[in-house]
Amino acid sequence: MNTLTDEDLMQKVSYGDLDMLKVLFERHHKHIFNFLYKMSGDKMLSEDLTQDVFYKVMQYRASYNNGKFVSWLFTIARNSLKTHYTRTKEQHDDIELEGHQLIEKQNNEQEEYSHLQIALNKLKTSDRELLILNRFQEIKYTELAEIKGSTPGAIKTKVNRALQKLRTIYFENI
Amino acid sequence: MMKKNHITELIPEYLDGLLSESKKEEVRLHLKECELCLKELEEYKTIFNAFEEEKEVIPSERIRTNFFEQIEIEKQKKSKVVPLITSTSKKEKTFSYLLKVAASILLLVGGYSLGNYQQEQKGNYKIAQLQEKTQKIKQTAMLSLIGNKSASKRIQGVNYIDEFSNPDEAIVAALVDRMLYDENTNVRLTAVEALSNFITSEEVKNAFIKALKIEKAPAIQIIIIQVLVKIQEKKAIIPMKKLLEQNETQPFIKEQIKSSIINIV
Repeated sequence: MNTLTDEDLMQKVSYGDLDMLKVLFERHHKHIFNFLYKMSGDKMLSEDLTQDVFYKVMQYRASYNNGKFVSWLFTIARNSLKTHYTRTKEQHDDIELEGHQLIEKQNNEQEEYSHLQIALNKLKTSDRELLILNRFQEIKYTELAEIKGSTPGAIKTKVNRALQKLRTIYFENI
Repeated sequence: MMKKNHITELIPEYLDGLLSESKKEEVRLHLKECELCLKELEEYKTIFNAFEEEKEVIPSERIRTNFFEQIEIEKQKKSKVVPLITSTSKKEKTFSYLLKVAASILLLVGGYSLGNYQQEQKGNYKIAQLQEKTQKIKQTAMLSLIGNKSASKRIQGVNYIDEFSNPDEAIVAALVDRMLYDENTNVRLTAVEALSNFITSEEVKNAFIKALKIEKAPAIQIIIIQVLVKIQEKKAIIPMKKLLEQNETQPFIKEQIKSSIINIV
């Protein structure tokens, strides 16, 4: 079972073998959850959204186009998060700020964020997202390009710039 | 000699081991001579370490349970059958999980059949609406034919009655009108035949008695008499006796009346 690639498994799912979703879930749900958690700083929300992401994979299994599964999965995850923020936009006009506010709020309560996370939170959402995907989730430039709708070259440049910004922030506050 | 910002661009990839041998060599050489870049390298190392040391947070068990339940529900939706336990492919850990699955299946099947039922109801309602609509169209056609100048069209209209299992008042009234007052004998005859099927209705019965009083055509008189005798209509006795007294009444009609009037008592 474990020798099958994500793409093989997803293909089986799209043909109706829904049990394969369980394998895909086991392989990826922690990554999706951690991505969402790092982006939102909200554990409950991230759990709900993770479940939602896999539900969507099941729901839209027929539209899986045999592309890289991880790219597809993270695209769905990003969209879920975006949709969530759009829905709660009324209270927070600036979507870019939303993540920070959430995290800072929790930060005051728990104070268990690492120096790295605090530095990451000071980045723009798009930069933070790139670094979380690239460094935490180890998503390669090719897949990142698919997720972000860009080219690997452009993504590499963006990641490098985001890293430089992070480095500045990280070391100025240490 | 390379500029230091060039090296800055390469440091992350250098640390990730993504550079080609020749590029790696370039970086190594540069680092030996450029303290600023060496400092950057150290900083990146620190950050990358921090990334690696960042703890992965474990989500709660509920998302797995919930999602696996959703899979089971989806399977049911897909196959529309009700196996009691479908999740035997993987030995599930706890009995409570099975219970949950069973409960969700129950809910699903319940929901499904309820939906089905409602759908059916809806469908029936729509069919009923359609039927009502066609009935209305037929009625309009029938009524307009009955009002036509041509006798043959009127007969055609009267014969439309076969299309109605349960004709409404407007249709019955139109037929009665033809039976009593149409100038054409054949139209009256057809109307009598059509209405004889609904003789159980009080309205139609009274119309027949009235027709018996005013109808002059023997062919129609005889049918009216037969129909009224068949249902033992007592109110028909008086007009029948009157017919016996009238001179213009055909002898065979009088015969018919005499033989059948005895039966009505």
